[in-house]
Amino acid sequence: MSAEIREYLRVKISMSAELGEIPIMKLQPDSLKTTKSFAQSVSAFKRLIGYHRGYIAYVIVIIVLSIIRSYLFTLEPLYTSLIIDRVIVGGNYDLLIGYLMIIFAAGSGFALVNFLVATINGLISQYMVRDIRLGYYSSLQSKSYSFYDSVSVGDLVSRATMDLQTADSFLRVWVGTVANAIFSLIMIFVTIYSISSTMTLISLLPMPFIFYFTTRLWVRTMQLFRIMQLILGKLSTYIQQNILGMKTVRIFRREKDLLNGFKKLEQMFVDTAIKAGKIQSIYMPLSPTLLTLGIAVVYVYSAYSIAALGLTLTIGDIILFARFMIRLTFPLRELSMLLGTWLNASAGLERVFEIMDIPRSVQDLPDAKDITIKEGKVEFRGVNFGYVKDRPILKDISFTVSPGEKIAILGETGSGKTSLIYLIPRFYDLNSGSILIDDVDLRDFKLTCLRKQTGVVLQDVFLFSGTIKDNIAFGRPNASLDEVVKVASAAKIRDYIESLPDGYDTMVGERGVTLSGGQRQRITIARALLTDPKILIMDDSLSFVDAKTEQAIQSAVEEAMKGRTTFIIAQRLSTVKNADKILVLRDGAVVEFGRPEELMLRNGTYRRIYETQFLDKVPLKGIVESEDDR
Amino acid sequence: MSSQYGAFSTKQEEGKKRIIPDRILIRQVYDYIRPFRRNFFIGIMAIVLGSLTGLAAPYMHKVAIDQIILPGNLSGFIWWIPIFVTVVLVNYFLQYVQIFQMRIVGENAVARMRDEIMEKLQVISLRYFSEGEIGRILSRPINDANTIRIFLRIGFTSVLLDTSSIIGAFLIMFFLDLRLSVAALSILPVAMVVVWYLGRYSRSAYRKALSTLGGLTARMQEDFSGIKVTQAFVQESSAREGFEKKQNEVINANKRAILISASYQPIVIVLRIIGSVIILWYGSSFVVSGIMTIGTLVAFTEYQFAYFMPLVDLIAMYDQYQSAMAAIERLFDLVDTKVEVVEAPLERKIEL
Repeated sequence: MSAEIREYLRVKISMSAELGEIPIMKLQPDSLKTTKSFAQSVSAFKRLIGYHRGYIAYVIVIIVLSIIRSYLFTLEPLYTSLIIDRVIVGGNYDLLIGYLMIIFAAGSGFALVNFLVATINGLISQYMVRDIRLGYYSSLQSKSYSFYDSVSVGDLVSRATMDLQTADSFLRVWVGTVANAIFSLIMIFVTIYSISSTMTLISLLPMPFIFYFTTRLWVRTMQLFRIMQLILGKLSTYIQQNILGMKTVRIFRREKDLLNGFKKLEQMFVDTAIKAGKIQSIYMPLSPTLLTLGIAVVYVYSAYSIAALGLTLTIGDIILFARFMIRLTFPLRELSMLLGTWLNASAGLERVFEIMDIPRSVQDLPDAKDITIKEGKVEFRGVNFGYVKDRPILKDISFTVSPGEKIAILGETGSGKTSLIYLIPRFYDLNSGSILIDDVDLRDFKLTCLRKQTGVVLQDVFLFSGTIKDNIAFGRPNASLDEVVKVASAAKIRDYIESLPDGYDTMVGERGVTLSGGQRQRITIARALLTDPKILIMDDSLSFVDAKTEQAIQSAVEEAMKGRTTFIIAQRLSTVKNADKILVLRDGAVVEFGRPEELMLRNGTYRRIYETQFLDKVPLKGIVESEDDR
Repeated sequence: MSSQYGAFSTKQEEGKKRIIPDRILIRQVYDYIRPFRRNFFIGIMAIVLGSLTGLAAPYMHKVAIDQIILPGNLSGFIWWIPIFVTVVLVNYFLQYVQIFQMRIVGENAVARMRDEIMEKLQVISLRYFSEGEIGRILSRPINDANTIRIFLRIGFTSVLLDTSSIIGAFLIMFFLDLRLSVAALSILPVAMVVVWYLGRYSRSAYRKALSTLGGLTARMQEDFSGIKVTQAFVQESSAREGFEKKQNEVINANKRAILISASYQPIVIVLRIIGSVIILWYGSSFVVSGIMTIGTLVAFTEYQFAYFMPLVDLIAMYDQYQSAMAAIERLFDLVDTKVEVVEAPLERKIEL
């Protein structure tokens, strides 16, 4: 496992943690990398800019429209003050209709431009969120098994939905808001500067303060938003555990523990959110307040300059100034709202990028080739493996399997059985040593080529939502119905499927809950058989099945193994007896390897297992574990 | 309920219309607010008083123009400045109180809702899960609760604030000049009809957008759960294609929602401009004929802003309100789902 993943896991709560016992301590703010957050937010922004590349034309259109909009924005107050000065005070009544028409035209144009900007901005936001989400999804597809062993699906999903939604609410407004703010401020200043330069300088007075307070708001709430986002991910994990682990939770009556843990997390979220709210409530209303106070200064100064200095300011000018001071607050208000949106969005984006940046550990070597497996000979040479460097799971494993042989692997829970067979399709990479298929090192195969030629029946009998046919044909979506029927028959599930009203078109739920464990298992066997693999790997977990089903599964397994080099983690004595060779693992080392009858003579572990029927007890232990692992 | 399972299956949910009246949903939400009603009412008080102090500013401008600047009576600033500054500072303090108090209420209420859903999920019958898709269930306590959270903390405050600003502005306008007010407000009935009409469109667009996002969530939930199988069978590219298709569905559903919400503000702006033109048309003739002061006319145009800007906000909030209501309905749909198998009391359980 790479350093990055470990670093990542330090912050994460491992899914494999006991149900109901989530280490809340890890969520304390101190354990987060808080000092970097500003720099991280900047880098998240830079990265987000990169996603605009394909939509530059739209961005330019928005900017041009914003310039037009900010010009139209100044016309209404300008002509209102002209009406006061020229029509009302000056008595030139003929001008009124023309001025009013200009006001109406400018306002309507402003509205139209607003509509265009909001639409275009909203649209590119959709596209960019799609791009980011697809990138995230693709990066997840290439992550190796060790990554998925250590994260929760609920958390991964919440990053792609919740966190990206915060990004969406930023993307959908930010270009328009920033462009509008900049150009409106410029237009306003140009207009009022042409009336009075001194008063323009006065109206600039609140600006440094506004800038200072806004920055304070940014810095102080940033951390809290990050923490909130993190807790939401955890809550999502909790709900996920509660639903998927439902049966386990019920069996062990852990509802109370689970709920208490959930409530603790929930309370942390509430406390953090209120803390952030307190900071926001102090700083957010400050800027408009300062600007409003600035208007008082404008009045005092202008009255003073007319009365005492005899300057040529008209009443229309003063009103225009006051009005522009108020209008100055609009772009600023929008900017500070945008800042709030960004605080949320950057926290969300960081969580998305964080996952995308975890490097994939298992990947093709530069000179990997497409190689066809002809024989199916498998050789382990001094294989050492562990998920964490200093905790080896497999130690110096060496053995050779001839083409077409069936190898039953025995060992207690945690002895490394699953790890051993998962090394063959390169779900994990070795620490040292090598594995060869037909005398070719695994790493010389292209990953896709290797996996296409090795069939796998995973311990977790996962079915996708869709029809039974879709599920059986998962590895070869364009397989014909005849082929599907053939493997269903070999896997001893054909009769059952055909007894259903919709047959092969019967829908199965996301986790295939409507099918029994034994039925799901046979479908996953059929699924593996359809790809006609030279090497078959079966992590044979036993469910609570009746004797008849057990018999059916057993014969499905027997059928599946014909003519293939097969590795099977054995849960049934019958499987073991029919195997060509038996491999007994203890604490990650091979203690016995050979033909069943040889091993019987040797008076070792296998014989003891055989005689005490110990094997029968293994499954019970295995089931509880497999349910928990979910 | 639409069915005994709630509305979990994809087809059911995406086509689902809201059937529970807002009134009932709001009452249900209030049950969660009740424990924090002290904060709630302090918050509401601050909102109402805050909008009133906010409305005092344009009147202060009128006073400054008519009584101080135009007559050149500079000594008037001696009393005008302290009053103006006080009003502004009180307004700031009230804004602080309202944001903070409403935050306390909103966060706590939604937390209670989430807790309740969790408790519900634990006693609900297992059949429920076999019928539904897990991603969809997941999206409720997280996505939907978050929508409600954002609404309670920002939306609700704005709705109250805007409403009291609008009412306050009307009252002051009537007090300043009855005839001009009638002219200025003549545009309102048209505005109401337009807003109501747009609201109807946005409801359905939003519902669709929300539930297709739920569909995408479910899709990812499944894809990530089954990723090991996908990798083992080298089916990454076909999974990605399916995912892209689902994403495009979401975008198409959102396009309509974007178009509708983008047209809200512009329509209101046009209506406001018409209002402004009416005020300036009548107002200038009133001022010229001496029945109104320039200060009053200026105050009028500002109050027109003071009710139209909140109206724009209010309509923007209406979007939020709609999605919050849709989210609330789906949450309570879950909470109200009938428990099929009631678990035996704890003490009678046989420990394994």
